[in-house]
Amino acid sequence: MGDVQDILGLERPPTPELTKESILGSSDKLKRKQMQMSTPKVSRRPEGMPREVFALLYHDNKGVPPVFPTDTGSGYKQMKAKLGMRKVRPWKWMPFSNPARTDGAVFHHWRRVADEGKDYPFAQFNKKVPVPSYTDEEYNQHLQVVGWTKDETNHLIDLAKRFDLRFIVMRDRWDSSKFAERSVEDLKERYYTLQTTLGKVKGTTPSDAKPYVFDADHERRRKGQLKRLYERTQKQIEEEQTLATEYRRIEARKKERDKKTQDLQKLITAADNQSETRRIEKKLPKKKLQQQLTRPRVDTVTVESTGIKFPDMKGSGVSVRSQRMKMPTSVGQKKIKGVEQLLQELAVELNPMPTEEICTHFNELRSDMVLLHELKTAYTTCEFELQTLRHQYEALCPGKTLDIPIPNETQVGSSTENDGGKQKINLAEIIDVVGSPGTPNSTHIN
Amino acid sequence: MAAAAVPPEYGPDAGGRLKGVTIVKPIIYGNVARHFGKKREEDGHTHQWTVYVKPFQNEDMSTYVKKVHFKLHDSYANPNRVHNKPPYEVTETGWGEFEIVIKIYFHDPNERPVTLYHVLKLFHQAADMALTKKTLVSEFYEEVVFQDPTQYMQHLLNSAPPLTMGPYKHETDFDEKKVKSLQNILTAKTKIKKDIADVKEKLKIAKETIAKFKEEINKAQSGSLSESPSLA
Repeated sequence: MGDVQDILGLERPPTPELTKESILGSSDKLKRKQMQMSTPKVSRRPEGMPREVFALLYHDNKGVPPVFPTDTGSGYKQMKAKLGMRKVRPWKWMPFSNPARTDGAVFHHWRRVADEGKDYPFAQFNKKVPVPSYTDEEYNQHLQVVGWTKDETNHLIDLAKRFDLRFIVMRDRWDSSKFAERSVEDLKERYYTLQTTLGKVKGTTPSDAKPYVFDADHERRRKGQLKRLYERTQKQIEEEQTLATEYRRIEARKKERDKKTQDLQKLITAADNQSETRRIEKKLPKKKLQQQLTRPRVDTVTVESTGIKFPDMKGSGVSVRSQRMKMPTSVGQKKIKGVEQLLQELAVELNPMPTEEICTHFNELRSDMVLLHELKTAYTTCEFELQTLRHQYEALCPGKTLDIPIPNETQVGSSTENDGGKQKINLAEIIDVVGSPGTPNSTHIN
Repeated sequence: MAAAAVPPEYGPDAGGRLKGVTIVKPIIYGNVARHFGKKREEDGHTHQWTVYVKPFQNEDMSTYVKKVHFKLHDSYANPNRVHNKPPYEVTETGWGEFEIVIKIYFHDPNERPVTLYHVLKLFHQAADMALTKKTLVSEFYEEVVFQDPTQYMQHLLNSAPPLTMGPYKHETDFDEKKVKSLQNILTAKTKIKKDIADVKEKLKIAKETIAKFKEEINKAQSGSLSESPSLA
């Protein structure tokens, strides 16, 4: 009840100011007294006490929380051990010998009578690594290697047997007073070649089993590398880190440049495609054109990957034609402004009469304008890159420079002299700005 | 009513839409305005204006148009003006310009109404102040496109009778305007195309030069690298 009231935010009758003592009771006596005389009163939550805390102290069934465990015994706990009803099996103090021992010592232990005479059960854990052995003849025939004497080999096999192929320990116990110092790799190499050869000679290894090949050189190199890595100085570590960051930076720059080039390529392809589709359109026979007229013309607009994608308005229903000339919301405000300005410069109305023909051409025109703008931006980027590259070159080969070919007026064409001229002026500015600061070769421009 | 004259098989529920069929209905909308010559004493109004929607061709739009709804400025006594038959026009007096929302409803309940926005024009531009005495016309051409109409709607659209027997003309010569606009756009388009080709050409040269420069730099770099040991 209290919870629901609390959730609903209902007003509760104001409770008298209660202190901690009055709820919990400063003494057992007081508590008991209070519990007895005012049970309903206590179940009311005092002002300011969180509901959850109160719920820990008092429940709906109006009482103190249970103190004694109320487990009835039917739960997970087994109160009484269920003892077996089988007959008691007798135990006996008996001697045993451990087959792992070589001295045959006999010890005694308790064991069931039924198990008497059986093997010592822990003997099975005494695993032995099979270490190959050889006769003198075998050694002389197959195992002779430059750098290893027979004694030394015997010593190795002995150690292998004693220490169960723990090569680190074997290396430690190596009798260096008698023989030359050997590294772990040397020991392993000798041991494993020996094992493989013996296996082949004796035919103990099945033919399909792959012999274990120990690549000592690789292991030596690995350890050497590890050692070098471990023994780096702080300075070396720092240098490595700076190099790594530098490398990452260079990579990022390269990626960026690649992306730019790709974008540029896309743009150029788009421009190519556009002119191509236009050409195809012109070539279309009259019949097909008519067909296109009756159907909504969409294909030409959607083909362009750059420029503006106008909605195709293919859905059935009534619409107003001028809706088709609306700039899609995906086009940025800046682009729209640019297009409008260009339209004004070319004396084209911003909202021409929305006939089908005008609609199509108007949309294509604006799409082209955006494309042109993008191409120009790309061109400016290229110009900058050219400048950068030239400076790089000049820094590399002082006294020399590279020529940047500037497309001349004839290439630009007569109809665009306005724009081409502008572009040229921009270029000149760029060259001036980039070329002047502190480069002694700035006079080489042109 | 027009709907009653339709044969039963063309009723509103007869079949779905006719795929691939497009019917275009050009319309003219806008307003004319005339100055009183002075400010009217009682309410300060200075102009009388008429806002209208009419067909571009000589035909009775009420065959397919159910009603036209003009929404005037809220300061007018009854800003929602609805017309069920032509002429679809509202004549009022006022002193200010505002946007009028024109909604055209169709007989076919499957077609949603189309909305036009017209800014009421009362005042001449500063340039042609000399023409103040003349009636001001601000009208626009628009095309209502019926994409995949229902059979019912197609029937209605194709059976509109002429509005008048006499000649039907507009204040503005839209045919001439159309030709001029198209000409302008096409000229601009050619020019932009040329610009695109030019910039592309320039881009190509720039890109080739960049490649060349890079090669030079690589050469120079490898050259300086091989030189440096001999210097040291």
